[in-house]
Amino acid sequence: MTPSRQPSGNVGRKLKCQMRRLTGAALCCVAMSAQAQTPVFEIEIREHLFYPSELKIPAGQKVKLVIHNRDATPEEFESYELNREKVIIGNTQGVVFIGPLKPGEYPFFGEFNPKTAQGKVIVE
Amino acid sequence: MTSALIIVLREVLEAVLIICMLLASSSALGLRFRWLPPALFAGLTGALIYALSLEDISMAFEGFGQEIVNAVILLLIMLLLLAHNFLAMREFKAPKIARLPALSLLVLSATIAMAMVREGSEIYLYVYSYGVVAGDMTSVLAGGAIGTGIGFSLGTFIYYGLRTLSARHCLLFSSIMALVIGAGMSSQAALFLAQADLVPTSEPLWDSSALVAESSLLGELLQAVIGYEASPIATQVVMFAGALLLSLAAMGIGIFSVRNISANPGAIRTHRSNE
Repeated sequence: MTPSRQPSGNVGRKLKCQMRRLTGAALCCVAMSAQAQTPVFEIEIREHLFYPSELKIPAGQKVKLVIHNRDATPEEFESYELNREKVIIGNTQGVVFIGPLKPGEYPFFGEFNPKTAQGKVIVE
Repeated sequence: MTSALIIVLREVLEAVLIICMLLASSSALGLRFRWLPPALFAGLTGALIYALSLEDISMAFEGFGQEIVNAVILLLIMLLLLAHNFLAMREFKAPKIARLPALSLLVLSATIAMAMVREGSEIYLYVYSYGVVAGDMTSVLAGGAIGTGIGFSLGTFIYYGLRTLSARHCLLFSSIMALVIGAGMSSQAALFLAQADLVPTSEPLWDSSALVAESSLLGELLQAVIGYEASPIATQVVMFAGALLLSLAAMGIGIFSVRNISANPGAIRTHRSNE
């Protein structure tokens, strides 16, 4: 590729493209290595209530949340503060990744039983 | 009852906004409403199929089927709204002479059907689990009826509001609405992908929940219109901006594609004879 033939803008674009690909690959590796050490936390839904209703997780870290629905009816795990929503069919389990988050309290609720099914994630 | 009202209103709001805006566009594009019943029927059928196969969908893709299907539906609606904007801008630049009726019908019907699949399935699931399974049908129906009523009143208001404008201004306003609704959907899609750990996540960039809480009425309305999120992550902001730019580009291409026709109406004859 001789610079005299090719407009320099094109070379720059190609380089940028390559760089983007490389960063993409690097991000992928980081994501994979992070996944290996992602802490796992579990919550149960029984009689339209969350157990435990308060869950402590570490700050600044992505966390895997496994939600077991022991009821026959579906429930939607929902949180405005965590920006998460997921329907969990009766007698199944669902996985939701949350964070990384700053320290604080993040309430969640069951959208189908918002009055009773309440809980919060405490990040510290 | 209030929880049923809020759940139904939330889901109805987004679909109603899109449907009423597209109906207004449809008349400005010179299309009759004959396409609407089949589109609504397809949407309802799709919503029912989605709700009934939710269990299988949930189990698919290592338990992230819901997130992936939701993200795909959202991005598809975003692309369809982009196509709407392309068509609307052609009509805006060259009224009545550069119409693409078949493509317009396809885009409008598909958008409405997809919007209904997304919202309808959640309403169905709620009504089924708490009306039929838990046996609390009265409050579900009462709340649902009021929620639907409010949603449709708002929709009527938007539709007639847009229709009082001239066809060109109606298309312009519809396109602006489609622009922000589409970008909001793209940002919501980012959230679903983050939930499934499929895109890079970070700590939220800011927190405006003290200003407008997502759970407030204004918050819900803003969420339906611009995909408002009080504490967004960087990926959401990037996908919002990306969708906005793509749609603006489509609008530019729409205007560019008919510039000769509108500058010289006589050119339409040669344009047509070439086809």
